Amino acid sequence: MTQPAQVEPSAYAVELSACTKEFSTPGGQSYVAVQDIDLKVEPGRFVSIVGPTGSGKSTILNMAAGLQTPTSGTVKSFGTAIDGVNRRASYMFQQDALLPWKSVIDNVSLGLIMAGVSKADAYSESRRWLEKVGMKNFADRYPHQLSGGMRKRTAVAQAWIVDPDILLMDEPFSALDVQTRQIMENELLQLWQESGKAVVFITHDLDEAIALSDEVLILGAGPGSTVVGSYEISIPRPRDLLDIRDDPQFVDLHREIWGRLKVEVSRTYASAREESEVA
Amino acid sequence: MTVTPVQKNVSPAAQRRVTKKKSEASGASIRLAQLGMTVVVLGAWELLGRAGIIDPFFFPLPSDILITVWEWISTGYVFPHLWITMQEAILAFITGAVAGLVLGFLLARVHFLERLFEPFLQMFNALPRVVLAPIFLLWFGLGIWSKVAFGFTLVFFIVFFNTLEGVKSVDRVLVNNARMLGASEKQLLRHVFIPSALTWIFSSLHISVGFAITGAVVGEYLGASAGVGYAIAQAQGVFDTEGVFAGMFILMIVVLIIDLLVNRAERRLLRWRPNQSAT
Repeated sequence: MTQPAQVEPSAYAVELSACTKEFSTPGGQSYVAVQDIDLKVEPGRFVSIVGPTGSGKSTILNMAAGLQTPTSGTVKSFGTAIDGVNRRASYMFQQDALLPWKSVIDNVSLGLIMAGVSKADAYSESRRWLEKVGMKNFADRYPHQLSGGMRKRTAVAQAWIVDPDILLMDEPFSALDVQTRQIMENELLQLWQESGKAVVFITHDLDEAIALSDEVLILGAGPGSTVVGSYEISIPRPRDLLDIRDDPQFVDLHREIWGRLKVEVSRTYASAREESEVA
Repeated sequence: MTVTPVQKNVSPAAQRRVTKKKSEASGASIRLAQLGMTVVVLGAWELLGRAGIIDPFFFPLPSDILITVWEWISTGYVFPHLWITMQEAILAFITGAVAGLVLGFLLARVHFLERLFEPFLQMFNALPRVVLAPIFLLWFGLGIWSKVAFGFTLVFFIVFFNTLEGVKSVDRVLVNNARMLGASEKQLLRHVFIPSALTWIFSSLHISVGFAITGAVVGEYLGASAGVGYAIAQAQGVFDTEGVFAGMFILMIVVLIIDLLVNRAERRLLRWRPNQSAT
């Protein structure tokens, strides 16, 4: 599935160069969330970003989406600098982002409706997608009537229906129980494998990252975190996520990457403890 | 006001059925107790009045009040007055709600305007509205428009502040999600901000409808040539306490009916909201 290496540099689906993001705190000081981030995602690649809590994972994704602008550095998508929201990307949020006042089918068709597609066409396309994610019997439900897993399925359909070239996913399944989560991951991979879309996937779960990705990036401890490691995941596809955790290649990679991640995680906890002692 | 925690594996419909059955059972006994209480209080009032312990001049017998109510209704005396009061209330409600909505949305979306208007709006809101009634009588005369203006000042502020708060408190994630799906500013307003603000506006609807009627009646009481408030003032002028109580009773029934209609509308428009069975 990996693309050959001779992709032109301008053709990266997502390209962050030396991006730094500073926030000003209520106290008037500034806080550097991420520093000197270089991220290049080729079209059709599945890249995961793993890091300890507070390492600015979501900030990176928000910059790629155009929801936040970097304090310094450039963000490009397919060779053009991003101004405002990245039109070629869809975003799956960690929190529930379905509009609670719209039924499932209205939520899924929202992107098409806003793009000017007629309601009849948008609905028939939405039905196709609801069938794909196993939600066709729930088209008229409202989000509050659905389970967490069903809401995520709807969110997947909502993000994919506009056929984006890039999918930005911010710990989309972290709120689900373990079994539901593995099923959702499997379904995500199946959808992705036939699509050729670039995916940037944020998670704090290394298992999830290795199982899904072509490449895993490790983010250092915050503040001012940056990419401290990049690992190529060469486990052949198609992968069956329900068994992959026993795969010897998976076990080796996990041991290697966890060795690096562990350092950052313990550093995060050490600095958290220091802070609480000072306070 | 029963809020049931969401149980897993139980469909919302089934859940609603369960809670409904329970609340119906306790509802019947509550109704019975309420009826009993009414009979006891009114009966005691009637008996004490007939025994001469309380003065029927100030506290006319409930039976006499009901007879007066019946007279007012059967002779048709009250209907023209009621019609005038309703006209005033409806006009005050519509103008106040529209102005409150428009200004609320405008100020919530344009930060500069909010900061510009804030102190003035606070000042007017701090003014006890009743003191405006005399000046409105001078400006707009004894007809319906002085009451409409008075009701307007009551309704406007409630709708305005609720709209402002409703639009400002929209979940960031919902806005970001809609933007990523390609929403323009106009589409954001239509699909995200207005539905979200509707919840707040409806929660204020009961109060603002009540205030529209209060405005009309108080205005009429202070100076008018028609309306229920005028009818009450007339009865008071000739020491007809039965008439005063009859006017109050009729107003009470009318407001209850209107409240019922508002509840219906609310339930229809906010059917996407969880726990809508709680009233």
